[in-house]
Amino acid sequence: MKCFVGIDLGSTTTKAVVLDEGGEVLGRGITNSRSNYDLAAELARTEAFVSARFRILEREVERAAGKDTLSRLLFAFRLEQMLVQLASLEARILEEAGKLEPPSRRQTARDAVLAVFGRIRCEEEARFADPNPPARSDFFRDAAGSAYARLAAEIGGREASFELLVGLYDKCIVKVENEPLDLGFRDHIGKALARSGASGAVRAAVEAASDAELSAAATVGTGYGRARLPFPKEQIRSEILCHGLGAHILFPGTRTVLDIGGQDTKAIQVDAAGIVTSFQMNDRCAAGCGRYLGYIADEMNMGLHELGPLALASRRPVRISSTCTVFAGAELRERLSLGEKREDILAGLHRAVILRALSLLARSGGIEDEFTFTGGVARNPAAVRALQGLVAENYGPRRLNISADSIYTGALGAAHFARRSAA
Amino acid sequence: MSLTAGVDVGSAAVKAVVMRVEEGEDQVLSHVSMRVRRRDVASVTREAFAAAAQEAGAPSLDYVATTGEGEDAPFATGHFYGMTTHARGALYLEPRARAVLDIGALHARAVVMDSRGKVKGYKMTSQCASGSGQFLENIARYLGVSQADIGPLSLSGEKPEAVSSICAVLAETDVINMVSRGIAPQNILRGIHDSMAGRFARLLQSLSVEGVVFVSGGLASDDGLTGALERALASGSRGAVTARPVAIARHPLSAYAGAIGAALWGGFRRAKLQTGGVAWTARSTASSSGA
Repeated sequence: MKCFVGIDLGSTTTKAVVLDEGGEVLGRGITNSRSNYDLAAELARTEAFVSARFRILEREVERAAGKDTLSRLLFAFRLEQMLVQLASLEARILEEAGKLEPPSRRQTARDAVLAVFGRIRCEEEARFADPNPPARSDFFRDAAGSAYARLAAEIGGREASFELLVGLYDKCIVKVENEPLDLGFRDHIGKALARSGASGAVRAAVEAASDAELSAAATVGTGYGRARLPFPKEQIRSEILCHGLGAHILFPGTRTVLDIGGQDTKAIQVDAAGIVTSFQMNDRCAAGCGRYLGYIADEMNMGLHELGPLALASRRPVRISSTCTVFAGAELRERLSLGEKREDILAGLHRAVILRALSLLARSGGIEDEFTFTGGVARNPAAVRALQGLVAENYGPRRLNISADSIYTGALGAAHFARRSAA
Repeated sequence: MSLTAGVDVGSAAVKAVVMRVEEGEDQVLSHVSMRVRRRDVASVTREAFAAAAQEAGAPSLDYVATTGEGEDAPFATGHFYGMTTHARGALYLEPRARAVLDIGALHARAVVMDSRGKVKGYKMTSQCASGSGQFLENIARYLGVSQADIGPLSLSGEKPEAVSSICAVLAETDVINMVSRGIAPQNILRGIHDSMAGRFARLLQSLSVEGVVFVSGGLASDDGLTGALERALASGSRGAVTARPVAIARHPLSAYAGAIGAALWGGFRRAKLQTGGVAWTARSTASSSGA
């Protein structure tokens, strides 16, 4: 089966999209970018192909047994992947614990680590059994990290302290993340089939999907790190073009696109065919980008995905007076020490990011109907709420499009460029 | 004679000193610096003050003066503004100084003063952390260089990499790019020092500074930065219509200039209160601020 691949090498995450010949999305993959762009691109691509295979499988299984069976199978597959990574993390942490000085601390630390991982595995199994598991981050680091820290605080004692256990984790997590994950489709799907108790018809459908040959007819790369992709020049497109086209594909009525990514913010105007007519980007400054919120999350010792929900609880957002990210961090600490509420300060910080984006939009030509918001920050509910309010205030009613998959917009545009180049 | 303390609350560190203030024989008895990191500033302030008092063996103090962001410290007798304390502290550490360049974690500021420490002019850098102490610390961390090695390494750089303003938060990727282009860490650091020094030199020149400039704040001990500043000031004055020869001075206690100035002002105010016969009481001084 011929496919077309788009890879968006962002500063924070790397995204890949696989299209079939008709231009339908078959699969998507996402991974943290780290400092190794080649590896990140490879991981995202592999994941996209795995999910493409699942898409094919979905078609097959849906025909054989219906949609629910499929989502169960996918969930089981994810769990198998998670268990493999957990085992690797556990092995590395145990190894580190075995090097502790003095040696008398080693056994206690190892026991605590074993207990923590035993509990994490139980929780993962329980999550699988739960018909409506709570939502969580896509990344192993976030999912495993928050469970580990929580359980380390609970299990850790005087001998194997919380600090010691978290220190061991910090030493190992990057190594596990950088490990090319054994995504062996056949291995995992076999276990997943057994776990979800699939019928013979499902097994046959899976067999057919597993045998399908997937080959990339063309690949296009884009994003901040695109110069590092091991592609010839004609297979590279600017992120502005890819975002414009990607937004147009997601929402054909789009005329204005706002993309807030990790290290830059783009305001793009596109025509009826999704071709860019004008754009503005922020100069190299973290204020107004996703990194601003990332920095704030670090300052508050919170996960990035926890910021938005907390900020939504605000009743009286504060006005942040600093522009610079570092100064905003200092202002945050100052306001916290003055006793202001975390959610009110956070709501103010979200508003500040959106205000910067609005000035960029104004310079690119304003906001036309329909208005599409993409990038990692579009997943943040507090940022979306601030944007809705400010757009209505300044431009009047506009239809605001946000796709759940908006983080893939650039990769989607790139994949469509790949498809066009092959036509 | 009186025993006074000065506590300078900065955004990255709290500096505390205890001094014996005596006409012509002022003396620093103890000095303590504590990093704030992500801790609660109020408790770091309390700890730094307590440590300095203990080290000086001073069970009771005649005056506790705060400066910087320490206005709310509950143990303080009074608070003094940063520009006056840095001016006074600089004169104590270097009597020839007629200006102070205070380079802290987030801001840099220049103060011009007369021989008695009276402030004649004042200016601060812009509202962006690019080129601040925090910024330099981030860069060093990305390069894997310890704080103490920044200066010597920068001085050994022979081909400084021209660096314009880099966002302090996004600098990590810029540094990764520079390193992957094969630029040596010493040349990156020297380029950044040159760019920071250029900005500080313009700050000083905009205040028409002449004579000796005392460098205070946490970055005064960075030889790479002060070296770059000397070069920048030398090249800047050549082109000017009226040449203003400027010399740089610093002291091992440069980082404590604000705290020392606060302790000295505290002693001065206490003496005034005792001899002045003005209708001031200890109560009213506790709520007054500034000098």
